[in-house]
Order: sequence, then C-alpha cells, then structure tokens
Amino acid sequence: MSSDGGELERTLGFLEAMTLGGGTMIGAGIFILPGIAARNAGPASSISYAIAGLVALLAALSLSELATGMPIAGGSYHYVNRALGGLFGAIVGWGMWTGLMFASAFYMVGFGQYIVGPIPWLDGRHFVIALGLFGLALLIGVNYYGTDESSALQNVMIGTETAIVLVFVAVGLFFIDTANLTPFAPTGPAGIIGTTGIVFVSFLGFEIIATVAGEIKDPSRTIPLSMILSVVSVTLLYVLVMLVSTGVVPIDVLGDSPIPVSDVAEVSMGTIGVAGIAFAAIIAAISSSNSSILAASRVIYAMGRDGLMSEWFNESHDRFYTPHRAILATGGVTALLILLGLGVETIIALLAEAASFSFLVAYLLVHVSLVVFRRADPDEYEPTFELPGALYPLVPILGVLLTVVVISQMATIIIVIGSGIIGLGIVWYVTYARTRTVGSGLFRDAITSAPGEPYRVIVPIANPETQHGLLRLAAATAHANEADGTPELVAINVLEGTRDAPNQNIESKRLEHQRDLLQNAHVIAEEMDVELRTRAIVAPEISTGLVEAIADEDADQLLIGWDGVLGEGAYTFGHTIDPVITRAQCDVSLVKLVEESIGTPVALVAPGENAETVVRRAFEFASVDDTVPTFLYVQPPAAHPGGDTGTAGREILGDIAEAAGLEPDEYDAELLVSDDIETAIPAAIDAYDTVCIGLSHRTDSTGILYGAFTEQIALNATGNVALVRGTVDISDR
Amino acid sequence: MPPIGELTILIPVDISDPEPPPLDVLDVLRPFEVVLLGYFPVPDQAEPALIKHEYEADAQTRLDAIAEGRPDVTDILVFTHDRGATIDRVADQYDCEAVLTAGDTDHIESILVPIRGDVNIERIVSVVAELVRGSRATATFFHSIDEDGDPSQGEYLLRGTVERVTEYGIDADRIDWQLAEEGDPYSDIVALGEQYDIIVLGETEPSLRERIIGDMLSRIIDDIEIPALIVRDIE
Repeated sequence: MSSDGGELERTLGFLEAMTLGGGTMIGAGIFILPGIAARNAGPASSISYAIAGLVALLAALSLSELATGMPIAGGSYHYVNRALGGLFGAIVGWGMWTGLMFASAFYMVGFGQYIVGPIPWLDGRHFVIALGLFGLALLIGVNYYGTDESSALQNVMIGTETAIVLVFVAVGLFFIDTANLTPFAPTGPAGIIGTTGIVFVSFLGFEIIATVAGEIKDPSRTIPLSMILSVVSVTLLYVLVMLVSTGVVPIDVLGDSPIPVSDVAEVSMGTIGVAGIAFAAIIAAISSSNSSILAASRVIYAMGRDGLMSEWFNESHDRFYTPHRAILATGGVTALLILLGLGVETIIALLAEAASFSFLVAYLLVHVSLVVFRRADPDEYEPTFELPGALYPLVPILGVLLTVVVISQMATIIIVIGSGIIGLGIVWYVTYARTRTVGSGLFRDAITSAPGEPYRVIVPIANPETQHGLLRLAAATAHANEADGTPELVAINVLEGTRDAPNQNIESKRLEHQRDLLQNAHVIAEEMDVELRTRAIVAPEISTGLVEAIADEDADQLLIGWDGVLGEGAYTFGHTIDPVITRAQCDVSLVKLVEESIGTPVALVAPGENAETVVRRAFEFASVDDTVPTFLYVQPPAAHPGGDTGTAGREILGDIAEAAGLEPDEYDAELLVSDDIETAIPAAIDAYDTVCIGLSHRTDSTGILYGAFTEQIALNATGNVALVRGTVDISDR
Repeated sequence: MPPIGELTILIPVDISDPEPPPLDVLDVLRPFEVVLLGYFPVPDQAEPALIKHEYEADAQTRLDAIAEGRPDVTDILVFTHDRGATIDRVADQYDCEAVLTAGDTDHIESILVPIRGDVNIERIVSVVAELVRGSRATATFFHSIDEDGDPSQGEYLLRGTVERVTEYGIDADRIDWQLAEEGDPYSDIVALGEQYDIIVLGETEPSLRERIIGDMLSRIIDDIEIPALIVRDIE
C-alpha cells in the first residue's frame, strides 16, 4: 500500500506559538519607542499602548476565528483573499510584506542604537546604521543557510528578555517619582491617539501566529489561546513599562534619548541595569527581526500559492531547501530601508509608523472578511473558535472603527507612504495577478440570497481532466430535469483525514485540491451551460464524506465513476462505493466510462423498484449525443403457455416508461424473448455504446443485491455501463 | 505482558537524499509488518507545503523505488521540521513497536541486545522474541556492571531475561547471555557490535549522568555499523 501524497507535519506547540507571538512583540517597540511615545503624549503614552493593545486584541479575536476555520499559512492575507477576492488580497499581501520589512528595518536600527548608545566612544548615526546593516546581514545569512529546530533557542532568548523586562518593571516601580507623572497628558487626546499609531508596531507579533498557522500543532486550541493570551499579557507589560519609564525619568529627558529604557534602568539599577536592558534589547531586536523574515517568506509563499505572486520567488534552494530568493528580496529591501536612516533624522519613528499603518489597514480588512465569511457561510468554514454571540458583530465593527480613528490621527507623510503601498498592491493586481488567480472572493455570496431549489447532481471527482465524460453525463442529467429546478452540478473531492488533525496540515492539501477542481471546472461549466460548484472536503473516510455531503447538499442524484473492478471479500464494489450506495439518500448512478461517446444507450428493463429510474437515466444520457434510447425488455419464452408474451412485455415496458414521465416517441421499445438470456443479452446490447441496468437494493449483508447476471453484463459489456438505483427511503430498513 | 504478535517496525529514511540507501534489510524483515517512513527535513525558514509542492514528485519516486517489489510495506511520505516528532507520531499511528535506524544488512543471523534492567525490559524481550521467531536468528543479551556493582546481580538479570524470552516459546539454545564485569559499556557494545548483524536497544530516558555527558544511545547508534532496532518505550 503506498501513500497518496506527502503529509505535512505540524510542529509548533503552544510554547512556540507564545514565544513567536509574544516574543516578536517584545521587540524594539518596547525598548526604543518609549522615548518617542513620551515626547508625543507624555505619561499618557501608557494609555496609547493600552489603546493599541485593544486594537490588537480585537484583531486577534477576529483572526482567531478565521484561523481556526482555515488553519493554513498566510494569516490575514489568506482570509482577506478568500473573503474579498484577489484585489484586496494583493493589497493585504503586499501590505503585510512591506509592513514586515519596515518593522524589520525598525528593529535593526533599534539594535544599532542599543549597541551605540551605552558605549561612550561609539557615536553617530552612521555607526547605528552600519551596525543595523551588519546585524541584518548576519540574520539573512543564517536564514539563507537554513536552521533546524531553532525553536529551542528562540524560547531561551525570549524567556531571557522577558525576565529582564519583568525585573526592570518590578524594580522601577519603587523609583517612580509621581512628580514626573504630572501633567499626565500634555498633548491631550489627539496626542494620545496619534501616538497609538506609532506604537502599534509593537503589537505585530500575534499576527505571525496566524501567518504560520499551517505549522501550529492542534491549531483549533493553540491559535486562539496563544494569540489572545500574548496580546493581553504583552499589553499589560507595555503599560507597566511606560508607567515606570515616564515615572522614573522626566519626559523631556526620556523623549530625547535613543535608548530610553536603558536610561531608566540606569537610574533604578545602575550600570547593571544598563547592561541588562541593552542585552535584552539586542536579543529582542534579533529575534523579532528573525520572526519577521520568516513570516515574510510565508506570506510570499501564500501569495504564490494563490497565483498572486510569481513562483520564481518561492523556488527553494537546491541544497538548503530554504526560500532563498524570498529571503534575499526581503533582506534587500529591508537593508535599503535601514540605509534611509543615513539621510532621515526621524527614521525610526517613520519606519515604526509606516509598519503600523500597513497592518492597521490589513486588520481593518480582516474584520470585514470575518463579516463576509459569517454571512456567506461557505461549507468549508467551520471554525472551532467562534466569537460568541455577544461579541459578534461588536468586535469587527468596533475593530473597523478604531482602526479608522487611529489611522486618521497618523502623520500625513505616513498616510502618503501607506497609500503608496496600497497603490502598489492595486497596480500589482491589475497588471500581474488578475489573470492568474483562480476563484473570486465570497463577497458575492455574502450579499446575494440563495436562488430557488435547484436540481442538484453530485459528482465525486478525483481528477477533473480525466473525468470530463462523467461531468458531461451529469450535466445532461441535470438539464433533462430542468422542470424540477435549475440544473446544478456539485463536483466534490474527498480527502481522507481528520479535519482537526492536531499534528498534520491537511488544510493545505485540501486547498490544493480545491484549487485544481476550480481551475478545471470553470471550463467545463461554461461548455455545458450548467451551474457548477466545487467542494473539496476532508473526512475520516471517503464514503462518509460523500454520504454527508449528499445529505448536506440535499442532492437529487449522485453520479459516481466506477473503474469496473469488483470489490474483494465482503465488498461488492469496494469499501468506498458500497457504503455510499447503501446510505446515499438520492438517486445513484454508478458509471463505468470506457468510451468518450455515450451514443445510443440501451436500458435493460425488468419489473422492480429501479425500473423507472433505469429508464429515466437512459433517456437522460441519450440527450448527451442527442440520440433516442432503447428500452430492452427481456423475458424467457412462454411464462404462460399459449399466451402472447410479446404484448404483455410491451405493455409492461409502456407502463414503466409512462411512470418515468416519458412519451412513447421519446424511446424505442425492444423485446427480447429468449431462454438463454445469458448469451442473448450481451449479444443484444453489444450494438449500443452505453447500457443502463438496475441495482437492486434488497438486502444482503452489503445491502446490495447484485446478481451474478448483472455482474456479468457490467464486467463484460464492451461499452459504457451505468448501474442505477432510485432514491431509497432509509427508514424502510 | 502479553505477546505482541505481529511485530511492526518503522523504518525512517531521509528522502531528501537524492540517493537513499537501497535498504536490503527490508527483504530480511519480510516476516514482519514494515512501515517505511520517508521524511523530508524542512528547515524552519520554509513552509512545509512549499517544499512539498516542489519536491513531492521526486520524493515519492524515490520512496516508491525503495518499496518496489515489496508490496506488503506501507510507505508514507512526510514533510517535517522535526524528524523526531514525525517518527513518534507515525509510530503511534501505525502501532509500531520498534524503529530501525542506521546501517543496512542483508541477513539477520545474530542479534545483540544490551540491557540495563530498565522498565522497558518487557517490551525489549517481546520484540527480541518475535525477531528470533521470525528470522531464525540467535540472540545474545549483554549487560555491563557499574564500577561498584555486584556481578551476581548482573548475572541474575541476564539469566532472568533469557528465561523470559523462552516463555514466549523460543528455544533456549537460540538465546545466550554475556556479562562484562568492568570496562566502558559504550566501547564494549560498539566493539561487540562488529560480530553481530543487528543490535536491539531499548529507548529509555537518559540517566542524569548521560544528560550531562551525552546520550549513550545516540552515541552507540552513531558509531555502530550494524542496523539498530530501537524498541519504543510507550508506557
């Protein structure tokens, strides 16, 4: 037995998610920005951090629900892309990538500042920039070469820096001089909100948990727990750090310092404090920058997966298996951004605010996406973490409002730069991506209401290219039943697996299958003039998945392909097909297609439960090639000696056809009287391209009475074979 | 402990290697259930789905080539950041009692089983019993005494273990034991290994000393040339 494609292991547990989220957040944001924050809002800057934390929390809540519904790489980008389509997907994708690069540059300049600051003989901004570039080069080098299982090191680094910050806060509390805390808000509410925009970059980390969602173990629990916990705990930490900083050192001194927290530590803990903070700041900058680089390559991968980014970027290195091009590109642009610092005085504030802007826009769209998903309610959207009734739609609405308010208070230059980035995304979409993406967003589904009851045919498809014939047949059947409803086909692909497998990334495979289906299906749907939907679902067994889908979709018919091989042992057809035939609550047609053309079908008619359906199917299949079906009634001679078996036979045929809703001119009736039906029938049907026979559903152990005779015909017929049964009322069993 | 019955062995192979070993040992292990795990190590920097997209076809071909002609072998392909976690997961999923690592061989006639009197001894014993039963090989249990240990204790442990194996219906003259009263167990085992075809080791928690000095199990596996069958400690 061989595997059907590779599995993807999930390897990041709760601790790793927390250090990824929380650890990235405790980056340069908390070590550098207090100076700028103090200058812009005074001691009330702690409120700025609190508001930023609230915005982050709202985003984390919406993201948590979306992420558990689609635990796959890409984070905000992926959900916006699916909800709102390629244009907004491109905007958010580019916004995230550039945002992460701005953030990375910000971290590395901070890194430079914290080395230069404490060392007296090292002075001047060119040193800062040079060190920042040097640190970046090291990081890019390490990431280019690739690391294995670096999460242990990451955990240690984050643990250390967090411990140092906690000590800083604890000691600092004793050194607070309340005189420094008044006036509390010298720049008023406008200043506070404006500062929120700058410091928001300090909250970027939680997003990364969603960006690497495809690698998180037990995503249903881990993602919401780690995202929300990390935002809440880090917000508390920030508020305390700001209160301590503005309390210990007067804001004008704080505002001028490039290493504000270090200066505070000098007052409260002397040189040891300075060394400790500098050390913490340096590891924080490195680890946060590293996470941003990793996240950026995931975003680029996700965009490439959806056709929004060139595959060239995603090619991995032959030996190292790292996405080296994406890493180099990310590093290159980040380096340029750092270099800007040579010319721009306020580079740090600029980088921080620009990163914040990109992500605020992204989160705004995430909130909108959540609403779209809730309203469109696509079948595959089954989040394990759902916003409770009280929080929806409060959270997305509040989220959108707050982000708009914060953005509105940002510096003009930032809004210009940020809009430029959005423009870049739009241009990219229009020129490159529009023709390459598959599938539009759910927006249409969210705002339109469901049409009237369709006549729905379900077709399980493994490979749309080879199952063209099956779909054509299904389309013909659906069209023929137009009187019962708009013809609709649902092509379904079932992946075996557990939806919430804690250790495997099944979602990625499911998405791939979905994409393949969609791509091939569009062409077919247009050609056959039928509504076609596609669904890729995951179920523990293929048969279970199909039976559930049939019930879910309230299907009228199931058309399933058969390779003509019988099952072994207790199975009639096989472990997948048998349960479907017994349990599907609709008409079932099991079709063996050996020729492209359906031609003229012949229906083998015998009195029984399925006769009507057999006859009906033959008629529907005939419409593919526009032929007239033949209904063949077979019987041994002289059941009643002296009776005219011919007339009786034709009468029975006529009755069955009438019951199936067919006029006498819509079919050809044939009678075959023979006492050796075993040889007579195969000879009679040989002339036809397709034969339809009924499957009985009287029970044996499998519930399928499949006589040796039917078997012989099915296996030996030279043309196409359709085994048909009508809808069974399961309550009969 | 009840007999295990069908012995299921997991064989992990690094499938990113363009020329993975032919694994003749697969033929030798025919009497047993074999799960062949082709793992593709993915660096932290890459999303596993990305690597899978690029290399799945090649990896699957290599895996199929190894499994060719051996239809009873279950083969699985996994793209993973963490080899150890994947081995544990797959072993649990397929109820594998032991994991085969390192080295290749085309015959199993003599089996070396170093033991320490661990909790895992029952599992080791039942795996060895199945191995002997299915391969017609002979097995030798080896124990090395600590510097201030008691030789009679060591002998008691070894004799007892041999007896436990015979309880599984294995002929007593297929089992042997050897006691080392002095010397470094690690180098003894590696040296002894040269005379055997396969070594069976119990997976156990390393002792405190080992955590500091280095996991002896890994050192043995690294330096020994014969295949090592590691019996999992599931309880």
